[in-house]
Amino acid sequence: MAEYDTFITKNFEDLKEEEEVVGIIRDLTPGKKKYKSICARFIISKDPNKYPDRLWIRLGRGQLVKDHPCSVKIVEMFKPY
Amino acid sequence: MAYKYFIDNREYVDALRKSGDLVDIMQEVDWDLELGAIVRRVCEKKGPAPFFHKIKDYPGYRAFGAPIATWRRFAVVWGLNPEASIPDIVEEWRKRTSGPVYKPEIVDKKDAPCKEVVIIGDDVDVFELPAPMVHDGDGGRYIGTWHFVVAKDEETGFVNWGMYRLAIFDEKTLVGPVLPFSDMGRIFYQKYEPFNKPMPVAIVIGPDPLSAIASLAPTPLPEPEFAGQLIGEPVKLVRCETCDLYVPATAEIVLEGELLPKVRLEEAPFGEYTGYRTSPRDKRNVYRIKAITMRKDAIMTVSNMGVPVDEGQLLRSFTLAMDMEQLLKSQGLPVTGVYMWPESTHHLLVIGVKPIYSNIAQQVGSLVLGSKAGPWFHIVVVVDDKTDVYSLEDVIHAICTKWHPVRGTILMREGAGTPLNPFASPEERFAQRAPKVILDCTFPLDWPKPLVPIKVSFDNVYPEEIQKKVLENWKAYGFKD
Repeated sequence: MAEYDTFITKNFEDLKEEEEVVGIIRDLTPGKKKYKSICARFIISKDPNKYPDRLWIRLGRGQLVKDHPCSVKIVEMFKPY
Repeated sequence: MAYKYFIDNREYVDALRKSGDLVDIMQEVDWDLELGAIVRRVCEKKGPAPFFHKIKDYPGYRAFGAPIATWRRFAVVWGLNPEASIPDIVEEWRKRTSGPVYKPEIVDKKDAPCKEVVIIGDDVDVFELPAPMVHDGDGGRYIGTWHFVVAKDEETGFVNWGMYRLAIFDEKTLVGPVLPFSDMGRIFYQKYEPFNKPMPVAIVIGPDPLSAIASLAPTPLPEPEFAGQLIGEPVKLVRCETCDLYVPATAEIVLEGELLPKVRLEEAPFGEYTGYRTSPRDKRNVYRIKAITMRKDAIMTVSNMGVPVDEGQLLRSFTLAMDMEQLLKSQGLPVTGVYMWPESTHHLLVIGVKPIYSNIAQQVGSLVLGSKAGPWFHIVVVVDDKTDVYSLEDVIHAICTKWHPVRGTILMREGAGTPLNPFASPEERFAQRAPKVILDCTFPLDWPKPLVPIKVSFDNVYPEEIQKKVLENWKAYGFKD
């Protein structure tokens, strides 16, 4: 299971699930490339077991929503520009 | 003739080691938060600078934190005794910044330590450098915190060095804000982006301390010449591998690349100079990196911005105050001193004046708030010439006893601000506006003399002969000081 995080600018309660979004996720795999940003299309679920990879949510100023791990399905990764 | 200076970061580190202002950390430290946490605590405890000899995942690299976060280290930079007072440092600054200016000297690549390792093209990967995760919750690993970005206006040839924060996005991409009113912002938004042209840049990590100071101090000079003025001889620069820019030959690490027009990626949050994370994650400017050159066993330099005092606050407060003093004196105003406490995160400026005419406080306050540096501060405290601007006790006393909350408050409801002000509303931050205030801490000149309060101090309410007698007998009385 890979682990990622992403930042949201709204409240966690307003986070839209089960919708494909385009955004940036960060790879949390330990090692030199930890925190590498990736542009991707992905689907989030607040159910931490629904999709294969773990996703942590951070709010706009970096606050970790640590009590609500999510899961993510990455549809496509693409170059940033 | 050259003043005392350190040709590179390494000579400066050695000097700090000798003066007791550096701690060598030999145990392995994790770049993921641990390193940043150590630097942060050092700043808050006003402790010696940490020098990291072993960084997890990065054998062969070292790191140097909080490079100039104390007045002692700042004194060492100038070749002064670490115990030198702030007025001593002010005098050294005044001496050097009124001295001759030197154009840089270009050296050959073989004489440039920053070219000991050269990586170009596909092999470029900034994750091979030990960029720290400085604070938990930062938007990325900030590789540019004690560094500067070199950019050039191709049309005029003007070169700018500026300390613009930079985070790693991916192997060849960095992100960071370029504010429109900054020097680099003016060049990019007027001369490159409207024409869809990438702007060549070079990112200098781990410069010698005076070049670093030149990059963040306000100056009308091109920074390479300003660095020469501070050093007392030409700064030695070497040409980049992939563009027509020049970088200090003794820098630890140089990243060469381009600032991309009309490309924005998410950046932030980051611990900022105010001691808060204010600006949110948002789309900001993008740099594509094309080459990395560096010294062998390169040293990553780390400044950890947060609650005071770190070097950003200390140096910006000091140099902004000096810049404002020069502005006021250039207009012939009767200024006796200008100072900003680092603890104010360069938001509060104290100006001492001889109050020889009415409303002088409003005049000097308006002049500094309307200057190029004006967006960076919002409180101006004007005191008289009997108040020591470097003394917190004196200034607090003046505010609490001489400032009239109604008559002495000059409020500017709308001024130029920055998106980083924690007190500003979200709309004000977005629009880069901020209100400003001038506190007039001088007694009105139209008060009849018998009605002006008299300061009760040793040097004011005792005849001279009594003061002299007491001072001459001070030790005889039994006092040690």
